Amino acid sequence: MSETGFIPAERKPPALSVSLGRSPKIGQDRTLLGVVIFIASESIFFLAIVLAYVAYRDSGLATARANLDVGRTAIFSIALFASSGTMALATRARSGAWLAATMLLGAIFLLGQGSEYARLLGEGIGPGSALFGTTFFTLTGLHGIHVLAGLVALAALFTANLGRARAVREVAWEAVGFYWHFVDAVWVVVFSVVYLGTLL
Amino acid sequence: MTAIPLWVRRPAGERVGWLRTVDHKEIGVLYIGMGVAFFAIGGLEALLLRAQLATPEATLVDPETFNQAFTVHGVTMILLAVVPLLVGFANYMVPLMIGARDVAFPRLNALSFWLSLVGGIVLYFSFLAGGAPDTGWFSYAPLSERAFAPGTGVDYYILGLAVNGAGTIIGAINLTVTILLMRCPGMAISRVPLFVWMTLVTSVLILGAYPALTAALVMLFVDRQLGGHFFDPAGGGQAVLWQHLFWFFGHPEVYIMVLPAMGMISEVIPVFSRKPIFGYGFVAGSSVAIAFLSFGVWAHHMFAVGLGDTENAIFSATSMLIAIPTGVKIFNWIATMIGGRLRMTTAMLFAVGFIAMFVIGGLSGVALAVVPIDLAVTDSYFVVAHLHYVLFGGTMLGIFAGAYYWFPKMTGRLLSEGLGRWHFWLTFAGFNLTFLPQHWLGAVGMPRRVFTYAASTGWGPLNLISTIGATILAVAMVVFFVNLARSLRSGEIAGDDPWDAFTLEWSTTSPPPPENFTRIPAVTGRRPLWDRKHPESRDKK
Amino acid sequence: MRPPADAIGTLSLIVGVIAFLIFVGVEAALVYAIWRYRASRLAGEPARFESNRRLEIAWTAAPALILAVIFVLTLGAMAEINGAGVAPAMRIAATGHQWWWEFSYGGTKTANELHIPVATPIDLDLTSVDVIHSFWVPELGPKMDMLPGTTNHLRLLARRAGSYDGQCAEFCGVEHAWMRIRVIVQSQAEFDTWLGAQRLPAAVKGVDGERVFLTNICVNCHTIAGTAASGTAGPDLTHVASRGTIGAGVLPNDVARMRAWLADPQRYKPGSLMPRVPLSDADLDALAAYLGALK
Ligand code: HEA
Ligand code: HEA
Ligand code: HEC
Ligand code: CUA
Ligand SMILES: [Cu+2]
Repeated sequence: MSETGFIPAERKPPALSVSLGRSPKIGQDRTLLGVVIFIASESIFFLAIVLAYVAYRDSGLATARANLDVGRTAIFSIALFASSGTMALATRARSGAWLAATMLLGAIFLLGQGSEYARLLGEGIGPGSALFGTTFFTLTGLHGIHVLAGLVALAALFTANLGRARAVREVAWEAVGFYWHFVDAVWVVVFSVVYLGTLL
Repeated sequence: MTAIPLWVRRPAGERVGWLRTVDHKEIGVLYIGMGVAFFAIGGLEALLLRAQLATPEATLVDPETFNQAFTVHGVTMILLAVVPLLVGFANYMVPLMIGARDVAFPRLNALSFWLSLVGGIVLYFSFLAGGAPDTGWFSYAPLSERAFAPGTGVDYYILGLAVNGAGTIIGAINLTVTILLMRCPGMAISRVPLFVWMTLVTSVLILGAYPALTAALVMLFVDRQLGGHFFDPAGGGQAVLWQHLFWFFGHPEVYIMVLPAMGMISEVIPVFSRKPIFGYGFVAGSSVAIAFLSFGVWAHHMFAVGLGDTENAIFSATSMLIAIPTGVKIFNWIATMIGGRLRMTTAMLFAVGFIAMFVIGGLSGVALAVVPIDLAVTDSYFVVAHLHYVLFGGTMLGIFAGAYYWFPKMTGRLLSEGLGRWHFWLTFAGFNLTFLPQHWLGAVGMPRRVFTYAASTGWGPLNLISTIGATILAVAMVVFFVNLARSLRSGEIAGDDPWDAFTLEWSTTSPPPPENFTRIPAVTGRRPLWDRKHPESRDKK
Repeated sequence: MRPPADAIGTLSLIVGVIAFLIFVGVEAALVYAIWRYRASRLAGEPARFESNRRLEIAWTAAPALILAVIFVLTLGAMAEINGAGVAPAMRIAATGHQWWWEFSYGGTKTANELHIPVATPIDLDLTSVDVIHSFWVPELGPKMDMLPGTTNHLRLLARRAGSYDGQCAEFCGVEHAWMRIRVIVQSQAEFDTWLGAQRLPAAVKGVDGERVFLTNICVNCHTIAGTAASGTAGPDLTHVASRGTIGAGVLPNDVARMRAWLADPQRYKPGSLMPRVPLSDADLDALAAYLGALK
């Protein structure tokens, strides 16, 4: 049996009726929609970890106040926040240079986090030392891993762009952009809860 | 009897290896194959449990083995059998039903399958690596902490479930995008077959629930491998945190396991009643209601933990609320049959069996949602009875209905109706014999997860009946496997549309060609194929 | 107040009847549909109705009403099983161990066998020293988990004197199956004499078995009041002979069984945290006789 009897399809598949988020393209492009859904799912993952941190906040607060260097971390955080800006520019201008800037800023942030880890571990505060260490390293560590993954994605985009810029799919820029902004947004939460949390 | 290509109708010689395929149909078959294999394994583990429990103070297996057996049985059936079976059917059928050529991300689709399978293999590898996990499928802390579970079993549990879950999450993203963006012209979201609807809702549930499990697993990993204290009371942690995280995943997971099966019978019942589904909007909408509610009921697994009366009352109320949308479905299915012209094929038998048995499990669920009753029977065989009535009496019967219904489409051959009837009635008898008595066992005080029980308890006879039932159930399953094997080789040729069905998958060849359709169809109603076969009585929208 | 078990009983009966009626209703409708609309009974095309708003509203509202009733009853029973504001006449601390129970009457310790006076509201303060356990004596009503690091409360009220068996309900490891409880409900007078006896130090002194006990590692884990033995890893043995069972239910308690247990606990309760202590036959006899005399 063939499909005779059906109205032949000349129209395009229907676009998703509800337009998700700000970028109208999300409603039509598979990759973008996929990335957005992935990010949504990821946020629940981080939500769980953050809630665990908050649940144990009190028992770790003293240690946090004593050992976390808010000012210093704030500076490195600014690097990460700034990288969202450069990423936005990179996406708009499809500019490899801005991509490089983004990667640089991301790397700086990781360096900052690395050095802080080194210091804390030096002071004998580790994932196993006490509840603060457990929750702190788990939360910031998972975020760090995500930044790293973001950097890999950026690098991939960068090299592909170096090669045959035309070959880079338009949405790749937006997709990587979304993910990077997400990693950034997560840090806004983590920084507020973990670091600014020590101030009040 | 002419040999026909299985699973996908490819031009002669153009066979793609199973390892390299990215065709949604072949990946669907891989998923289903994985599910069937693990179902058999999980079932054999169950038989071991039943054998040991048949008589009081039996010494067939030692405690460790028994504890590993029920842990692995639970994990296997839920995460390695049922979920892959459901995802497999979704993978194969959804693109066909919405008139698409494949899923949104074919390569990612292959990745999700292989991740799911590897997760399962990792879990089973623990048997070789010095002992499977033996802390129960929800592996409560602190029992699952290093201090009390020094072996590697729990570590394989963590790794296996994390990898398997990653696969499932990616698969859910894929299906969601496919359903949202790849429907054929005219296939408004209000026209997609209900199985597709349920798959969409299920995918959303997966995306919301699985991350919580992953998070819990990561924390348990930190505790066990890095000396963390998340769930370690001695170190200031709280055992209850694990329970909250796990059940925030665990409860939606149970609807993840039942909604697609409900979708299957929502396809089967109308076709074999020769009527459109009754109350399409309500059947679809009630699923959305269930999905929302299912994120707000998790603590009904924790009534005896001592959260406090207020918390318990709230979660009791939300749990009861879920009965309402579920009931709406039941009533609409029955209303679909009313006034119809019922063909009691094996598929229809299993669909009706689903309704008949699921209601029992649902009602015992509501009883469990009543806090005082739960405090009496929680962690007893009453719960075991409940979960099997919904999971076997519900989900598995639904899957069997889907299997008899779609097997011809996937293979071009019909399953034997004769063996099918044997399969159904043996299952029906064996199932009730196994699990009905467990309600009483739980009520009179038999806790779950006990490797044996004192003769003085008097639980012997009912346990023996239960074990006999399980044996009959095993025979029923063997009949099913035989039916599959025979039809694969020499089953009666089905043709493209053996059931005179309604939806697009039946408009293409059996099995379908690689790209599913020679021409992407455009539809004007909920039953495109019916409209086409009966132009005189098209569905009016 | 009513015993919690009664409150649960009544509620279960009501919910059970409601559930049964719904069950019968649904199955009847199903059977009717199958019988009435079987293909052989109808020639030609079936009816084509697809929806009916009134019906949908009806079968949404009806269950909602039923559930509302059930929920109200639930709230009532919840308050009742927590003691309905009645203060307990006595508090007993119950602690879960892998895989045995410790009961403390204001410092006086015993194991696996809980004695309470009849018709008296008692509150158990439940906790655990290791993993999660759950205190459950079916005939006395609800169960309650015992979590390490927290204390839960459970109201007990037994109407009739007698012996009630129960068991740990939360999976707690290898020997979860043999973590049984026995609750002895007795008249206030009997209870008082029992408790009085429990408060006294070891009944026998200076016998051979005592020497064996005190000169072996037993003392690291067990307490016998009135001797140097003050271990806490295992049950208090001061009045071990007054208990009905050995090893939380695996063996009935008599001198012969006691000797067998001491000779090799792992044989009767594999995985139990009580090790096999190598002892000469003579020592075993003496030890069993001694412990068997600790009434
Ligand atoms: C397919 C899986 C599935 C499904 C669909 C359900 C459905 C439900 N479950 Fe179940 N449940 C499990 C799988 C499932 N469950 C598992 C696996 C466990 C054990 C986990 C473990 O501990 O290992 C469990 C455990 C479990 C518990 C915890 C028990 C305990 O450990 O103490 C509770 C408590 O509230 C509960 C409640 C419910 C309720 C209220 C529903 C409702 O959704 C049921 C709704 C359906 C109906 C009610 C029937 C149809 C409705 C009508 C005919 C309308 C009229 C009805 C009324 C007015 C009542 N379930
Ligand atoms: C979908 C889920 C699912 C399914 C289908 C089943 C199916 C079965 N389950 Fe189980 N079960 C669970 C989910 C499921 N279970 C869960 C979640 C738990 C809780 C675990 C925990 O406490 O942690 C549990 C626990 C559980 C217990 C309680 C254990 C305990 O608390 O100590 C028991 C005991 O009777 C049991 C029995 C059975 C039986 C007899 C079947 C039967 O229906 C099985 C029927 C299938 C077969 C008999 C296999 C047939 C295959 C063959 C005959 C071999 C042929 C081979 C080839 C062709 C290769 N299950
Ligand atoms: C390492 C700790 C340890 C040592 C050493 C030990 N026991 Fe035990 N004992 C236990 C534990 C734990 C139990 C509870 C076993 C169970 O029920 O699971 C127990 C149970 C018992 C019981 C049964 C008590 C009851 O009411 O059920 C007796 C009697 C007993 N021990 C006597 C002894 C004697 C005599 C010795 C020395 C020869 C000894 N134990 C050495 C830990 C120990
Ligand atoms: Cu203690 Cu189970
Ligand atoms: Cu639940």
